[in-house]
Amino acid sequence: MDERRVARVWAPIISFARAEDVAPSTRHALLACGQAMSADDVGLSVVQGRNLREPVLAIGDRCEELEELQLMLGQGPGMDAAATDRPVLVPDLSVSAAADRWPVFAPAAVAHGAYGMFAFPVAIGAARIGVLDVYRRRPGSLSAAELADGLAFADAVLLLALDERGGLTFGAGRLIDGELPERRADVHQAAGMVSVQLGVGVDEALARLRAYAYVNGQRLVDVAAAVLARHLRLDSHDDNDVTAGIGITDIMDAPPSVGYEETEGEK
Amino acid sequence: MNTIDRAVRETFVELADTLVDDYDVIEFLGMLAPRVVDLLGITACGVALVDHHGTLSVVAASSEKTRLLELFQIQSSEGPSLDCYRTGLPVHEPDLPSAVERWPNFAPAARDAGFSAVHALPLRLRDTVIGTMNLFGSAADALEGEAVALAQAFADVATIGILHERTVREYELVAEQLQSALNSRILIEQAKGVLAERLSLSVDEAFAWLRDNARRHNRKLHDVAAAVVDGSVDLDGKIR
Repeated sequence: MDERRVARVWAPIISFARAEDVAPSTRHALLACGQAMSADDVGLSVVQGRNLREPVLAIGDRCEELEELQLMLGQGPGMDAAATDRPVLVPDLSVSAAADRWPVFAPAAVAHGAYGMFAFPVAIGAARIGVLDVYRRRPGSLSAAELADGLAFADAVLLLALDERGGLTFGAGRLIDGELPERRADVHQAAGMVSVQLGVGVDEALARLRAYAYVNGQRLVDVAAAVLARHLRLDSHDDNDVTAGIGITDIMDAPPSVGYEETEGEK
Repeated sequence: MNTIDRAVRETFVELADTLVDDYDVIEFLGMLAPRVVDLLGITACGVALVDHHGTLSVVAASSEKTRLLELFQIQSSEGPSLDCYRTGLPVHEPDLPSAVERWPNFAPAARDAGFSAVHALPLRLRDTVIGTMNLFGSAADALEGEAVALAQAFADVATIGILHERTVREYELVAEQLQSALNSRILIEQAKGVLAERLSLSVDEAFAWLRDNARRHNRKLHDVAAAVVDGSVDLDGKIR
């Protein structure tokens, strides 16, 4: 893990939140992202599966309009990012290649003064939350560092959005405990299992796992290991309060380590 | 030409054949890894890619056994892959027991998994290291001379497979394709979890289910995993 990039992304998010004396939220991530990437507007639209559903946050004068426009027209880089699970990087919406690809959106965006547009999926695997759209009034490619920042901010937005969904405020202290963007295989395997246990999508399952870990003061990786070892099931107890609605059906008797092969077959 | 040379040549031809328009990168690497094991006479091989945080994650291995995959997990914080990625140079450690000080977590874990030699080769695109190829074996499997060159050639093939084309010009494309490969892998992990729960399988068995299903129906691994996660595949009718 490159600590510097992590710090470069999270330090400004936290300082935007501190300035308002509140816990960091997705909005602070958008503010920090705009600053780091020299963007004029930054928007977040949520998705349902691979389709954009609605704009939820817009930073900058024209952003809300641009985000609405994209949704209304059903075309644009953000739409494509959602459909393909890939970042869509457009250094200049005024060139003909952009007009060919998004015949109505591209000229309209340019008319709104947006030339550069960089859309990043806020997603991990099949857990799709939304798309982060970064707009610039001047044309030009992202530098390699800006591109890496964009991807890292999309991860930060993902974590914040998951925790907002789980009814948690994101404690800055959790960063220090290593609750960083997870590429760990076991966490995602556990999310797959929990999605079946709760009858929800993997995005919701990931949110519940994080909430469970937070509420119980455990590390996410340890909770995931317990799920994989079938020592822990997350069951939905009818109400929606995530902190009360998740119950342990089995007790974690032994520290869940790596030995889950041994328990296979046990259900 | 001896048997090994012929096998090597056939493997390169086969790999090149796979690199057609619309291939599944995880599957491609999953095919490459066991070939590398056979041709180099080692025990295990895995490919790890680095993300925009600088974290290495395994995307394919010659065996999907949990114990092997954990050796890659450890290497997000220490180990030959991380050293190789950081320096851009190959790392050869033919005697893991003597490397405990260098890698206090990795070396004992690798030993417990039955390995005593390890090699890490960079996946390079000119000046950029996009990941590593990790080779594991017993003491007798330490690679020398031509074998090292062959291993690096396989690492280069993996790079080409991941970056889709030989003449990638832009870091944007590289970032996008790395992101896509890593994300594809995560989707597979999520699908393993869904299968493990729905069919009461171990995660290792769940991967075998995915691979068999993809082969039997001639579909991409990625697509089968996506269908499993979104529930559009009838699991009950297809229990092995």
